[in-house]
Amino acid sequence: MSRVVVIGAGLAGLTAALRLARAGQSVTLATKGPGGLQLSQGTIDILGYSPERVTRPLEAIASLPDEHPYASIGADEVAAAVIWLGQQLGPELLTGDPSTNLHLPTAVGALRPTALAQPSMVAGDARSLSAHEQRGAAPRSLSAPEARDAHARSLSAPEERGGVSKGLTYAVVGVRQLKDFPADLIAGNLARTTAPDGTRLAANSAWIDLQARPGEADPSPLTYARSMDDEAFAATFARAVAKAAGKGDVVAVPAVLGIRRRGVWQQVQDIVGRPVCEIPLPPPSVPGLRLYEALLALVRAAGVRFIQGSHVTGFTPDGGRVASVTLAAAGGPRELAADAVVFAPGGFESGALSVDSYGTISEPVFGLPLTATDAGELITEKYWGPHPLFEVGVRVDDAGRPVGERGVAHENLYVAGGIIAGAERWRDKSGDGVAVATAIRAADHITGGAR
Amino acid sequence: MSQKSRDERAQGLRDRLNTELQRLSLDQCVKCTICETSCPVSAVTPLFPGPKFVGPQAERFRDGESVDHSVDYCSSCGTCTVVCPQGVNVAEINSLARAVMKAEDGVPVRDRMITQTVLMGKAMTPVAPIANAVLDNKLARTVMEKVVGVHRGAPMPTARTQSLHTWLKKRPKPTKAPTRGALVYFHGCAGGYFEVDAAKKAIEVLEFLGYEVLVPKQGCCGLAEQSNGLFEQASASVRRLVDQLRKPGTDLTIISTAGSCTGMLKHEAHEILGIHDPELLDVGTRIREISEFLMELYEAGELPTDFKPVNMRLPYHAPCQLKSQGMGTPASDLLRMIPGLEVIDSNVTCCGIAGTYGLKKEKYEIAQAVGKPLFDMVKANNDGLAACDTETCRWQIENSSGVETVHPIVLLHKAYGLS
Repeated sequence: MSRVVVIGAGLAGLTAALRLARAGQSVTLATKGPGGLQLSQGTIDILGYSPERVTRPLEAIASLPDEHPYASIGADEVAAAVIWLGQQLGPELLTGDPSTNLHLPTAVGALRPTALAQPSMVAGDARSLSAHEQRGAAPRSLSAPEARDAHARSLSAPEERGGVSKGLTYAVVGVRQLKDFPADLIAGNLARTTAPDGTRLAANSAWIDLQARPGEADPSPLTYARSMDDEAFAATFARAVAKAAGKGDVVAVPAVLGIRRRGVWQQVQDIVGRPVCEIPLPPPSVPGLRLYEALLALVRAAGVRFIQGSHVTGFTPDGGRVASVTLAAAGGPRELAADAVVFAPGGFESGALSVDSYGTISEPVFGLPLTATDAGELITEKYWGPHPLFEVGVRVDDAGRPVGERGVAHENLYVAGGIIAGAERWRDKSGDGVAVATAIRAADHITGGAR
Repeated sequence: MSQKSRDERAQGLRDRLNTELQRLSLDQCVKCTICETSCPVSAVTPLFPGPKFVGPQAERFRDGESVDHSVDYCSSCGTCTVVCPQGVNVAEINSLARAVMKAEDGVPVRDRMITQTVLMGKAMTPVAPIANAVLDNKLARTVMEKVVGVHRGAPMPTARTQSLHTWLKKRPKPTKAPTRGALVYFHGCAGGYFEVDAAKKAIEVLEFLGYEVLVPKQGCCGLAEQSNGLFEQASASVRRLVDQLRKPGTDLTIISTAGSCTGMLKHEAHEILGIHDPELLDVGTRIREISEFLMELYEAGELPTDFKPVNMRLPYHAPCQLKSQGMGTPASDLLRMIPGLEVIDSNVTCCGIAGTYGLKKEKYEIAQAVGKPLFDMVKANNDGLAACDTETCRWQIENSSGVETVHPIVLLHKAYGLS
């Protein structure tokens, strides 16, 4: 049994820690904050744009440029990694099919492509009515490859019908006290949208008046989600929604249907009497928190030591290896000895990649070689990009170890997630899949493929 | 206190708030809301709108005035700073802002009283049976709530008939000669007067491992005064303690069983009170929480692990002021090595008490609501015992769950066959 230190508690770090612990390794997970999951939509994207909207992400991986983090992994491994994660979390939290994207409404009424979603979201998938009826409101389970084939068959229906036909109608219901869910804007934008299968969407909006906590002027989505953990409050909410919602195939509500209690969505849907979908809000993201808390609970239950609140600031080398990493704990530095390290610190957004006032890009902890070090030329005039800056990161070998001009940086240092170069993740929506697939690549190389 | 000196004190604290380096960390706030989702207080009451709201956001408007008095509802658990991915000193800035507010508005007599932990210990130990009877008396507690503002349901320590230092004087000298050198032992007010048993056991475990244990006369670290905004008193207390802990030698490792007081010496006195004395920083780098120390020995292959089995389920709660030291939960790692002991981590942020917060009549209900998931978890998973590293948290857990709650060292003492 070797001692592995995983740095970072985002999707990549948590996945790596869980995979390693499941394989019997002694794992310490060190992180400053709780990672980015609770800032996410609570779904698992594989590939959303390339650069056009992607409906079949695994197929689209094959045509990505060689620099993309997926290129050296391949679609099969990406699918296997994402399926493994889905199985760990279970169908109550993640459902879907890595080979097909769902197109789910966002909090501004756009359609966002993603591969796996929470069961409470999938009824919002923008497809023709007939496809919905074939699939049913019940979420598909995520287990066997047969499920993928069955789903692929069901998708042929709208293509065969041809022509523009009527798509889904959303009855969007907002809560007056919850400011981050603009129901009118969401409905307005959905109503002028053509779904990826060519059908025309329709939408209307309505509001309910329901306070989560008396006397609170500006409640967050989390306040509502915590209140929904109480069955009686969830029932009150559902009855108000049922009464207010306009005509439509799907009733769309803010993603606040419980944080700890599973099945709130089912309870609400049963009372509403129509398919109900949750639409994720800006942070704090309740669906993101559900994934974070569930993954962290799995990681802890698997026996991983969890150290939160201290930055990893450096390391002690031993020949070509990392002997230990340095934790800036209260009262002075502490060394965490390691036989192997998985470095999953994120990218620019978390400060793992830094740009100084001269425009010099660096990775401050290990001083890893980067694909570019001068930010100046990489920031373009166009606000909406593309911005090559965000593709900067670490280049890796087939095992996921950083490589520079002089070869592998450290024999036992692996990277996962946002620090890996080659993709502008917020643009192509590959961040989650890259995090999961590179985390599993790193973990499996450390364990020699042992499960 | 005269109005003038009150204004001067408030101004002095405000100058710190406005000019200290940690204020710069405000600009690193990206409004991600991670601290808000982790705050145990705002989760249960709208009276506290959350650490970002009263901190990085409100701070921009303070400009010479305390704009948001809800900062008084912050319990100082420090979780916001721990979870902030961008390194904003949310808790430190809010503690300072609250001290400014208290300097302006004045501190209630109650808050001055409940922070006098050593005084309580000294006064109660000689008359322990009487003191305990009074604290157990419903009428006395009702009067105390009405007159002083300490909630009648809040946990109170149990006075012992013998203090740790009296025991140390009276006990027979250790027969085994030390093989590993000397350590300084910091027991905190609780270890000295209220939880004497845990302190004795800590000393016995360290002696069993071959150390000579030096126990200097020692006072309070001032943490309770600090969290009540009494910064001058807190600074005096911690400085006194630092001198006391340095007496036996300036290169010895200091071992502590007082989890939150350890955090005071490691970082809080430096970051919140703004004390930069080299003596404090010296003690802060030499001190180890006892489980942290034992795990360091283990990592170095120097900890005997031939433990006797302790067959039971043990709910373990890592307190917030231990987690804020950024070293993980060493007690949990340590206890897991004892055969037969099934350690169940609470995974709950806070027990609610936060030192003296949960004693106050206006905050008691909030503190109970914060701790409820923990109390439920302890009730559902125990075989008669729970463990936690800090004193007032143990009293809170025990008081609200009805399950006896001990310092982790008590279980280690047993596993080494010492009890």
